[in-house]
Amino acid sequence: MSRFYVYAILGEAPATPLGSGISAEPLTLLTSSDLVAAVGVMDEPPVATREAVLGHDAVVRRLAEGSTAILPTRFGMVHEASALVDWLATAADGLRDALRLVAGREQMTLHVFEVEGAVEDAAVEAPEAADAATGPGARYLTERRRQRREGALPELAPLRSRLNSLIAAERIERRTTPPFRASVYHLVERGRSAAYRDAVESHRDLVRGVRLRVSGPWAPYAFAPEAVA
Amino acid sequence: MSPRRAPTEALLDEADASLLDLVDNVLTKGVIIDGEVMLGLAGVDLVYLRLTAILCAADRIKKYLG
Repeated sequence: MSRFYVYAILGEAPATPLGSGISAEPLTLLTSSDLVAAVGVMDEPPVATREAVLGHDAVVRRLAEGSTAILPTRFGMVHEASALVDWLATAADGLRDALRLVAGREQMTLHVFEVEGAVEDAAVEAPEAADAATGPGARYLTERRRQRREGALPELAPLRSRLNSLIAAERIERRTTPPFRASVYHLVERGRSAAYRDAVESHRDLVRGVRLRVSGPWAPYAFAPEAVA
Repeated sequence: MSPRRAPTEALLDEADASLLDLVDNVLTKGVIIDGEVMLGLAGVDLVYLRLTAILCAADRIKKYLG
């Protein structure tokens, strides 16, 4: 029985030619109700070479160009057709919700790094003794520390307020190896990535204590896993 | 004077940044089908790849992706 490598879940058949996959296999579509999986025949998961990973993303980007809504799959997913169709039916509700979220949108990423010796950042790491104090400064620090623990990245607040009109959804992934502190994934309307970059560059100086690097646009990889969570 | 930049940060601002973003997105994000978490990546397990991506050790990633 044939097995299929899965590139993406779509809300409709792409309007553009499917083309071929990372092993030059012709792409085809498996459907379950209103959900579509873009797949190529492949017996075994591919080796994760640089070319294969780049190829996966290239296929996803091409499919995205012809589709309103796309949920990229993670590299290396190979399944039998019957199992895929069964999974599509089982995960349908979550997939539809996620497809609605990403429809007409793409992903931008802000990588956040601590700046060594930043005064404000050091203040956030103030000793726990501040919790016992009652002054406004101590309360401020306590609140900042709470926000940081919860992943809210308060340093980004001034920038976020400038990006709000561009952002449809946000996901934050904490990093645990200083100075890499977090990656913030934003969903923006397709075609607005340049405006997003411009907004970040224009207001970069508002962000203190961290350094930012912008990446994108990407297909909405970071907003796909929740589809089946 | 500009703040001194850590090696990890410098690494991500250079040519390997695009590769690391690729690893971050394609290998550690995206829909996981049917709860599958470990992939047949020719002996390179996903946990290692993920840790490597998070640690931004591009030189170690390139050993596998280069």
